[in-house]
Amino acid sequence: METPDYDNEFDAIVVGAGLAGSAAALAMANQDLDVLVLERGQSPGTKNVFGGVLYTPTVRELVDIDDAPLERYVAEKRYGVLTETDETAVTMRPGEWLEEPHNDSYTVLRGSFDEWFAEQAVDAGATLLTETTVTGLVREPGGGAAEGRVVGVETDRPDGTIRAPVVVVAEGANSLVSEGAGLRDHHDREDVAVAAKEVLKFDRETIEQRFRLNGDQGVAYNYFGEGAVGDAVGGGFIYTNKRTVSVGVAYSIEDAVASDQNPEETLNDFKQHPAVAPLVRGGRTVEYSAHAIPEGGIDAVPDLVSDGALLAGDAAGLVLNNGVHLEGTNMAVESGYQAGRAVAAAVDGDDGSVDDRALATYPEELADSFVVQNLQHYDFFQELAVEDREFLFSELPRALADAETEYFAVDRDPKEAHAEAAKDRLLDAAGGYVGAAKRAWKYRKLLS
Amino acid sequence: MTDDDTVHEDVWVFVEEHGGDVAGVSWELLAKGRELADETGEDLVALVVGEGVDDVGAEAVERGADRALVADDPVFEPYRAGPYGDQFRALVEERRPSIVLIGGTTTGRDFAGRVAVPADAGLTADCTELDVDDEGLLLARRPTFGGDAMATIKCPDHRPQMATVRAGVFDAAERDPDRDGDVEAVDVVVEADDALSRVLEREVGDVADITDADVVVAGGGGTEGDFAPVEALADALDGEVAASRKAVDEGWVEPARQVGQTGKTVRPDLYVAAGISGAVQHVEGMNDAETVVAVNTDPNAPIFEHADYGIVGDLHEVLPELTDRLGGRSPPEPTA
Amino acid sequence: MTVDADWTIVVPVKQVPDADDVTIDPETGTLNRSDAPAVLNAPDYNAVEAALSLRERAGGEVVAVTMGPPFARAVLETAVALGADDAVLLTDRAFGGSDTWPTSLALARAADELDADVVVCGEESTDSSTGQVPPGIAAHNGWAQLTYAEELEPRPDDDELVAVRDVEGGHERVAAETPVVVAFEYGENEPRAAGLHRKIYAETEFEPEEWSAEDLGISEQVGLVNSPTKVGGMDTADPVEREQAVVDDVDALSDRITEVTADD
Ligand SMILES: Cc1cc2nc3c(=O)[nH]c(=O)nc-3n(C[C@H](O)[C@H](O)[C@H](O)COP(=O)(O)OP(=O)(O)OC[C@H]3O[C@@H](n4cnc5c(N)ncnc54)[C@H](O)[C@@H]3O)c2cc1C
Ligand SMILES: Cc1cc2nc3c(=O)[nH]c(=O)nc-3n(C[C@H](O)[C@H](O)[C@H](O)COP(=O)(O)OP(=O)(O)OC[C@H]3O[C@@H](n4cnc5c(N)ncnc54)[C@H](O)[C@@H]3O)c2cc1C
Ligand SMILES: Nc1ncnc2c1ncn2[C@@H]1O[C@H](COP(=O)(O)O)[C@@H](O)[C@H]1O
Repeated sequence: METPDYDNEFDAIVVGAGLAGSAAALAMANQDLDVLVLERGQSPGTKNVFGGVLYTPTVRELVDIDDAPLERYVAEKRYGVLTETDETAVTMRPGEWLEEPHNDSYTVLRGSFDEWFAEQAVDAGATLLTETTVTGLVREPGGGAAEGRVVGVETDRPDGTIRAPVVVVAEGANSLVSEGAGLRDHHDREDVAVAAKEVLKFDRETIEQRFRLNGDQGVAYNYFGEGAVGDAVGGGFIYTNKRTVSVGVAYSIEDAVASDQNPEETLNDFKQHPAVAPLVRGGRTVEYSAHAIPEGGIDAVPDLVSDGALLAGDAAGLVLNNGVHLEGTNMAVESGYQAGRAVAAAVDGDDGSVDDRALATYPEELADSFVVQNLQHYDFFQELAVEDREFLFSELPRALADAETEYFAVDRDPKEAHAEAAKDRLLDAAGGYVGAAKRAWKYRKLLS
Repeated sequence: MTDDDTVHEDVWVFVEEHGGDVAGVSWELLAKGRELADETGEDLVALVVGEGVDDVGAEAVERGADRALVADDPVFEPYRAGPYGDQFRALVEERRPSIVLIGGTTTGRDFAGRVAVPADAGLTADCTELDVDDEGLLLARRPTFGGDAMATIKCPDHRPQMATVRAGVFDAAERDPDRDGDVEAVDVVVEADDALSRVLEREVGDVADITDADVVVAGGGGTEGDFAPVEALADALDGEVAASRKAVDEGWVEPARQVGQTGKTVRPDLYVAAGISGAVQHVEGMNDAETVVAVNTDPNAPIFEHADYGIVGDLHEVLPELTDRLGGRSPPEPTA
Repeated sequence: MTVDADWTIVVPVKQVPDADDVTIDPETGTLNRSDAPAVLNAPDYNAVEAALSLRERAGGEVVAVTMGPPFARAVLETAVALGADDAVLLTDRAFGGSDTWPTSLALARAADELDADVVVCGEESTDSSTGQVPPGIAAHNGWAQLTYAEELEPRPDDDELVAVRDVEGGHERVAAETPVVVAFEYGENEPRAAGLHRKIYAETEFEPEEWSAEDLGISEQVGLVNSPTKVGGMDTADPVEREQAVVDDVDALSDRITEVTADD
């Protein structure tokens, strides 16, 4: 039995067939590069825990999205603030979201979507190898880098080292490869959130009735406050798929370590909240999973290119997770796409030489894109949320609930008295007029 | 092919004998075969192959056979697929039975194909239910896809209709010394030199029978090889020890005690599954238990869906406590 | 031990729906196999491993064979990735609906065509689970057979293969003349992982040979019409009703057990 040697037979290796990895592979394959994608799961998406909304502006650029396995488009968003017993919520259903392209927001099951997305890369010429875990990067002296240049990867398979001129690391939030290879520091505790998610099965009608949906419409609900994840910085969510509902919580790892609640217990409490329970009642759990989400903001983003390796997606910390927005998918696809384009421009398919200046266009392009722009814009929030934790997640929700109870109270007292009391309650929580004005200023960028 | 007008009649049951012991499933098949023969109005014939097996033929008659055919010759000892298959096939082609039932043991499953293939017979493997329709056509039912579905399989155009049958699914035929019938010695067609294989060594112990027990305590991968707590509980409840295939493959328990698709089907009043995940292939063998109790550390283990009472916990703690409560002696502390 | 006997070791491998993903349509009662990804039959991993390990000791080559639709070539790729030298796909519309009789005929003819010295099958397939294909292959070719084999010991000088077999209540060691058909017991060896470069080769460059029923000269003997057994109906097995109660402590459990065992 003779086995051919594939060292330097591929122009680039991609670690991970998630959104970032497949987007990178697609971009490179479209430019006629030979790409090898290595994925540890049995198929792409099987290891994915995301339960939510896929934002598709860049996906649309890359592939024909009409063929994609999408579940529902987001027709309604809801932000709910929870205390132990109360909910105060804003719901929005703009008519525009009902029209194509549906604000480029769709719920998906990553098991099917990632598999399909990776297939598009394979159809474009990429080679996908599953059940293969990358365990490290291979470096070789030279190329000006102190630790040497990245010239390939090591995997968990026998005969498992393979070389290629460039490696794109798109391994998601766990970042074991990039950390191990010194491409990034270990995620600081405060830079990572834990998430726990369950997928509950219902019949279609139940979902459509319960959430007031027609056809392919779906909802994305986000919840904050101590009724969602206790006194941790984070929140809960509910998303509707065709026949399932994803329900989960995500909160700062630091808080998770401090409290003795594990994510599973936190999720259970959330599901039992009086405002949440009726939405998820009667579903059969078909999946439970827990996972990390980077949330360090722009400061935690490492160098995106070093020594012949590129980082994209969650592996590079490119997630906007500030409470109002939880957007990682669009950033993963965009960054993968940009990384892929840079590699395509940098690698000479004939002799395997790499133009480092061309690689360096990746961070530049990304800096000009919505990815970095958004991260910078909302960067302030992460710190504030921690600073104001008590106020945001506990005092404010309670004050809101008390105030609305007052304001709408029906009894034999005149309404005016209740309105006055409601106002006092809110002001009290905010620290009087001055406090309220300060806070409004602090958080203004959230709405701008 | 046998779709000519030749008449095929009678229900045959293969009576499997090793070293004087008859496999339990053979007597179970005799009981079921009796029912089928009564329904079609045919004879029930027992077929015995081996050396010095006349008395097995006689016992088959006492247990319900109308006749017994006995092929007695040293070439059949120890068992090999070639000689058994050739002899069996010769008899089938000469005497033309309509239905042939064989126990789904390693032996039965080994040689059945060597009869069915050259005889152009249909063979349904591992049946758990048997019936005949109005025309005398055998309806062989068997679980497929790990027990999620039952398939009914027929052989409309080929005779005989052969089936191997899982051990433990029918009650054994009782012995009635007053019954009589012929025991016929048949011609042996196999020559010693024809055999394609020879047995170099053979090591067989007593074959435990777990199919009759009222209480079965089964251990799996979760025991990590320590079956003492399982044995102690079985003792306290006066039951038999059984195991999942994992425990058998690891060599912790003898194969005859394996429950499941490729093991035995048990029908106790109480089945305790300790450290068993509840894979479909296992559950198939315990579905006929009256009450199932599960002990498992993993609250999501599928076994809990197939249990009446479950407890989430370490079997090494739960079983000894249970044994205590139920009046048995706890096993000695394992020495580290 | 001689290395260089140049045995041709044929491994029949089957593509099956991933058992974890087969669902039953509650309305029609039919199996939704199409939803489930197709994988290599789990026991066949043990067969491939047994074949590779025989090759290491006796010399020669390992050829994987499957009978199935064109996309069944995926399991041949798996076998080649694991280390099989070559593979043959038996594919033909005429094979459709075959039960064990014609399936084992096709595999028997292919093994004969390949000049097999040893055929190593899995114990049984997880979808049809008859375990009858290996004895069927042996019967069609009039070859020796070794089912429920746990260990294999090649004796190419004597044209023999020795196996330790599982028998009711114990074990036996049997020597069989080659050519011989083995059914290797599920779980009795530790299947190796495919090497990285071998896997890339199997999935990108490797092409199996394809043989039709006519190539094997058996077009008139295979398929649904030539299958003695007919599936008369398929229904969902009534799931056994269980209480599914989880008790909190051993006392409660022992009470339940006492109730149950006191009943009679
Ligand atoms: C609970 C939860 C809810 C979320 N909700 C939303 C939301 O509503 N909207 C949104 O936009 N974003 C959301 N996100 C974030 C979003 O899921 C991620 O930002 C996005 O999936 C990142 O894509 P990626 O390609 O970088 O990584 P991933 O999708 O994680 O892909 C990484 C891939 O690499 C593979 N891999 C990892 N290590 C190795 C290795 N060593 N060798 C080989 N393969 C490897 C993995 O198996 C995986 O397939 C959510 C995240 C979580 C956890
Ligand atoms: C063709 C084929 C035929 C098969 N036939 C059979 C058959 O006839 N019978 C059969 O049983 N299987 C059969 N199997 C195998 C079956 O698929 C499973 O692999 C097997 O049943 C697993 O055994 P297990 O549950 O004991 O072990 P595992 O899968 O290892 O599970 C061990 C369980 O113990 C639990 N556990 C661990 N530690 C503890 C502790 N300290 N206390 C309590 N619980 C603990 C774990 O949570 C786990 O659920 C067959 C498979 C195939 C492919
Ligand atoms: N269609 C097939 N193609 C190749 N090998 C098969 C096929 N069907 C069965 N086998 C082999 O026969 C063994 C037993 O299968 P079965 O008799 O279907 O339980 C399997 O493990 C395979 O090795």
